[in-house]
Amino acid sequence: MKKSLIISIFFLLGMGLTAHAQESKVNLNINYNYSFPVSHFNSDLVSNASSRGFTGNLMYELNPKLSVGLGVGYQDYYQKYPRQNYKLGQSQEVSAVLSNSIQMVPVMARIAYEPLGSSDSRVQPYISLAAGANFVNNDQYLGQFGSGNTSTGFRGAAGLGAKIPLGKTSRWGIDAGGTYDYAPYTKFGYKDLNTVNVHGGLYVGLK
Amino acid sequence: MKTFQSLVVCGLLVGATIGCKKEPLDNLTDAESRIYITDHDSTVNFNTFKTFSISDSVALIENGKAQHQLNDADAAYIQAVKDVMQSNGYIEVNKDDDPDLGITVNRIISTSTGVISYGSYWDNYDVYWDPYYWGYPGYGYYLPYSYAVYQIREGAVSVDMVDLKNAPENNKLKVVWTGLIRGSGIYNASVAESQVKALFDQSPYLKTE
Repeated sequence: MKKSLIISIFFLLGMGLTAHAQESKVNLNINYNYSFPVSHFNSDLVSNASSRGFTGNLMYELNPKLSVGLGVGYQDYYQKYPRQNYKLGQSQEVSAVLSNSIQMVPVMARIAYEPLGSSDSRVQPYISLAAGANFVNNDQYLGQFGSGNTSTGFRGAAGLGAKIPLGKTSRWGIDAGGTYDYAPYTKFGYKDLNTVNVHGGLYVGLK
Repeated sequence: MKTFQSLVVCGLLVGATIGCKKEPLDNLTDAESRIYITDHDSTVNFNTFKTFSISDSVALIENGKAQHQLNDADAAYIQAVKDVMQSNGYIEVNKDDDPDLGITVNRIISTSTGVISYGSYWDNYDVYWDPYYWGYPGYGYYLPYSYAVYQIREGAVSVDMVDLKNAPENNKLKVVWTGLIRGSGIYNASVAESQVKALFDQSPYLKTE
């Protein structure tokens, strides 16, 4: 939460700076990501929000309003449940502290639309869509005894945010926003790993 | 400016990757690391048993062989089982006085290969506890339920309960209840009582009047 606060302050400070529309055709952005498990992910596996993640996007500007590219990310989710009894089979019971540890690495094609892209606005809002693969590592521990599974599934995301160029001639700035990520996950009877994400970071013009 | 930009990007990357994963095992206390597994013959009414006898030593099991020992931790586990059985209404008798239930305490430790499967534990049970010990030479042990398959690496303590009352009728020594404790710091006299209590707490049917 402290990291989010720092990013928010950074974001607000950036609002006061003079900005110009970006000049680079290829942009890289790196964001800190805060993630909230929702839907069945929240109710069945992990309800704790995760502060351990980042996203990165390499985007190519087709025109001042539209860009396409590739996005990758990483997020770690963890939750420890208090000791309780679990029934295994007809007559077997296990008493254990259960821990769920899930890491997700999305790799998605991404398209972003900036409605004010051709203007000189100092805040450039955008909407984005992304689709691709979700690499999942799911470890579950009964006490200290764990078992794990890795899998790959679909992941799609819809998001909105804003880019704020910093400085008069700079090709870099602040990027902040959020996404809803849809990620079906049918292992072990689970249904999804859907999340709501808030990110904040920097973008840099490479070319 | 380029250097500054590179530094910021590098800083973000490093910041994002530091503490990338919350390691579950680093967030467990010894008590939280332990698991307690029990199983029983669901056709058995434990109220029909009135007396029990418990082995006077612990089988230290390694590589399919057992040696019997009695150190402070062994004695503490045996005493803890006696106490909880008595508080559940059972009467302790000598093993020569026809007890209804025979109870053994076992310590399973990691092997030279580092792995024991729980299946092989039962395969060799008559090696650890000769049926002669209970007065039934030639009888075989019988586990009437299937145990989940898993491997024991770090060591475990098991408590097993055999039906001696109906052994002549069954022509076998039926294991009617088993309990297994796994985790950190379990083989210690100071924790024996709480570990045994945990096993019996999740077996509320194990009572007699």
